[in-house]
Amino acid sequence: MNRITASCRITNRGVFVDGQLLKPFSGDDPVENLGAAYKGLALDYPKFYKMDLLAKAAFLGVEILKSNCPDLAGDADDDPAMLFANSESSSDTDLKFEESYGNNGLPSPSLFVYTLPNIAMGEVAIRNKWYGSQMFAVFPNFAPAYYADQARLLSDEGAKKWICGWIDVREKLDVLLFALDDAMLHEPELVTGIQHLYDN
Amino acid sequence: MASETLKNELKGHIIEQLNLEDIKKEDFVDEAPLFGEGGVGLDSIDALELIVLLEKHYHINVTNPEEGKVVFYSIDSMADYIEKHRK
Repeated sequence: MNRITASCRITNRGVFVDGQLLKPFSGDDPVENLGAAYKGLALDYPKFYKMDLLAKAAFLGVEILKSNCPDLAGDADDDPAMLFANSESSSDTDLKFEESYGNNGLPSPSLFVYTLPNIAMGEVAIRNKWYGSQMFAVFPNFAPAYYADQARLLSDEGAKKWICGWIDVREKLDVLLFALDDAMLHEPELVTGIQHLYDN
Repeated sequence: MASETLKNELKGHIIEQLNLEDIKKEDFVDEAPLFGEGGVGLDSIDALELIVLLEKHYHINVTNPEEGKVVFYSIDSMADYIEKHRK
């Protein structure tokens, strides 16, 4: 039985919450799809429009998780910790930044600030005033053991809740956000459960 | 005083350069501060984008940070500066 009870999956098909379709997408343009998802949430956060795709996807995934799981943050000052990963780092924005100075010799400052993948977690932290530990890893493919292993390590330092994310946006939307708490960490099926979230 | 045509054009460039998708040209108050509360809420990264905007569209270099505070105060101040310095 999968004890992970809060998850958000965003693909080119739409936004899914705990496996249920929340909002279908009609096209394949990630900019339009993430913009439509943002409008559907009726949030008032104009900075969303200035974020790169990676940060937009992280921001939306966490906002949707929060709406489904109000006690996501926990009580401690350093909760929740954030464990994010993807296969492409910040390459979507890196290439746009290169293009900005390649075309006219004027590099874009607003693109430059997103040329590190962990900025996506910074946007989430700023929005929510979450000051826990953060880690962003890059793997060739979705790696469920990373979340279980790192959460257990951070548990030794006092963390009790974790927001975990896999966020690829360049070729197609391949986004999974989910929440873990310390009661789940020693479940023997945790890694399998995380993989199940991704596969479904 | 800068022309309305220039101010209108400038608002369009700002919206495009800064990705202000929620803001329309008519939302700008020409004399209101662009930064902080009461205006359109621009931040420090936006200030850098405005420097790029002046160089890209009007071939004007703003190199003195103190000058920037005055130049980028409002649509009026930016438009006045462009009219005086455009090449």
